[in-house]
Amino acid sequence: MLTDHERSHLEEHIARYPERRAGAIYTLQFLQQKYGYLRDEALAEASDLCGLSVTQLDELATFYSLLLRRPAGRTVVRICDSIACHLAGAPALLAEAQRLTGAPLGGVSQDGSVTVMPHVCLGLCDRAPAALAGEREVGGLDPVSLGELLVSLKAEAEG
Amino acid sequence: MEQVLTRNFRLPQPPGLADYRAGGGYEALKVALGQEPEAMIEMVDKTGLRGYGGAGFPLARKWRARGANAPHPRYLVMNVDETEPGSFKDRQLLYRDPHQVIEAVLVTGFIERADHAYVFVRGEYAEGARRLEHAVAEAREAGLVGRNILGSGFDLDIDVHLSAGRYICGEETALLNALEGRRGNPRAKPPMPFEKGLWGAPTLVHNIETLCHVPHIVTRGPDWFNGQGVNGGHGTKLYSVCGEVKRPGFWELPMGTTARELIYEHAGGPLDGQELVAFLPGGASTAFMLPEHLDTPMHFDAVAAAGSRFGTCGIIALGSATCPLDFMIGIHKFFVRESCGFCTPCRDGLPYLNTLLERIEAGQGRPGDLELMLELCAKIAPNSFCAFAPGAIMPLESGLKIFGDVIRAHIENGACPYRGAH
Repeated sequence: MLTDHERSHLEEHIARYPERRAGAIYTLQFLQQKYGYLRDEALAEASDLCGLSVTQLDELATFYSLLLRRPAGRTVVRICDSIACHLAGAPALLAEAQRLTGAPLGGVSQDGSVTVMPHVCLGLCDRAPAALAGEREVGGLDPVSLGELLVSLKAEAEG
Repeated sequence: MEQVLTRNFRLPQPPGLADYRAGGGYEALKVALGQEPEAMIEMVDKTGLRGYGGAGFPLARKWRARGANAPHPRYLVMNVDETEPGSFKDRQLLYRDPHQVIEAVLVTGFIERADHAYVFVRGEYAEGARRLEHAVAEAREAGLVGRNILGSGFDLDIDVHLSAGRYICGEETALLNALEGRRGNPRAKPPMPFEKGLWGAPTLVHNIETLCHVPHIVTRGPDWFNGQGVNGGHGTKLYSVCGEVKRPGFWELPMGTTARELIYEHAGGPLDGQELVAFLPGGASTAFMLPEHLDTPMHFDAVAAAGSRFGTCGIIALGSATCPLDFMIGIHKFFVRESCGFCTPCRDGLPYLNTLLERIEAGQGRPGDLELMLELCAKIAPNSFCAFAPGAIMPLESGLKIFGDVIRAHIENGACPYRGAH
């Protein structure tokens, strides 16, 4: 549940726009940060704040690729598979990620530490193949360094 | 040639307000606040500065289209939704010199007499958005953003809007929907955004690189700007090369630099043991160019004359060890995923094409597949709602024509000729 402080922070942000619904994306991002993904409770809270129905918010949550409507691992790793990264080995990285996590792309690893999924061009074409681990940029990946990244994320989750 | 947009990139950290000012920052804002907007529109008109987000519409024409008498409130939107595969120039401007971005918004906002500015940043650039927000707060504190800027009587507040993904949100009308808290589906035009944009008010949407040139033009004039270009180009350009080259990267160079210089000198040429087979000149949504086009000056008109599109001028190189069909799949699957789903030719047609491409690459192509794909290309592009599907079709259709023999070989041999070849 949102605290009073969180609620007033969101109210303040939403009030900067001429219409409340324009604050919906920020509100959903905030709630996702809080809960890890947009569970039903989050949509109900956003509905109160933004003046949109839960269905309207679901329309947003299912459209925008950075909004997650299903549970995710502690860190979401988005491996770019657009052209520069595709040429530099993204398909092999995606296959290796599935092997290492034991989960399909978009699924949660068995230990809950990560969700790995393919993503569109991250603007890191000069460091291909690249990924975002949470909001952190990682370039020049290969199957070995991807494995190390996943191990370090697992350690973070346990620490 | 001097570094203009990247002059602060040599600093180890993006400059804060004090360092930005020490390097002459916010002087252009002072100059602009003392001039008539029309005089500055005239200056920009003389440079022919065009939109660097991909469409290439002349900036001064956009300003004149909205006109000086447009009703208030008026909105200014800076588009930092860079998601075009092979383009990573806007990221550099956002991350490495946020105060330059703010000054560009302020000078442009004054020229447009805008009432409010939004900087629309793609969600994947969250760290860049935070840096920009921090810089906006610094500038606001110093009286550079907000009410009565530098005592001029001009008010402009800037909000940084962090988006939540999807390539289509870079299309300006989809961006307006996204900013308003709707799904990022494009809107019908007309009305144009400059007539009815955000919340029905006149809105001008500009790419970040385009606007970053404006303060420099206002202070140093169109002759200086035009003198920076070569081979018929004007000003400087943030060029980039990626894909199968030795040193992928970005460089600020004279507009009109040839593709040969970009690919062979700056990017180090093809990977060892390979030759350049083809390149996309302006990001994923442009038609292939061939080695015979290497001496083309990379500016809007010359690239168009060579049968392609300047786009964002993010060059993507294809080397001789890679199957061209695999390259085309790498390009096309991006568009399949990113179609917003609003219109049928795009939503259903692009995946259908992808199915055909992948089955040919897998050695299961059938006679007539190539012709079927060309027919689909001809039907999808003109029947879709916005410029997305035509952008997806451009590299595909040109690739199907250029690499027709390779594709036929896949179909006839029942296998990719490049598999196991290296």
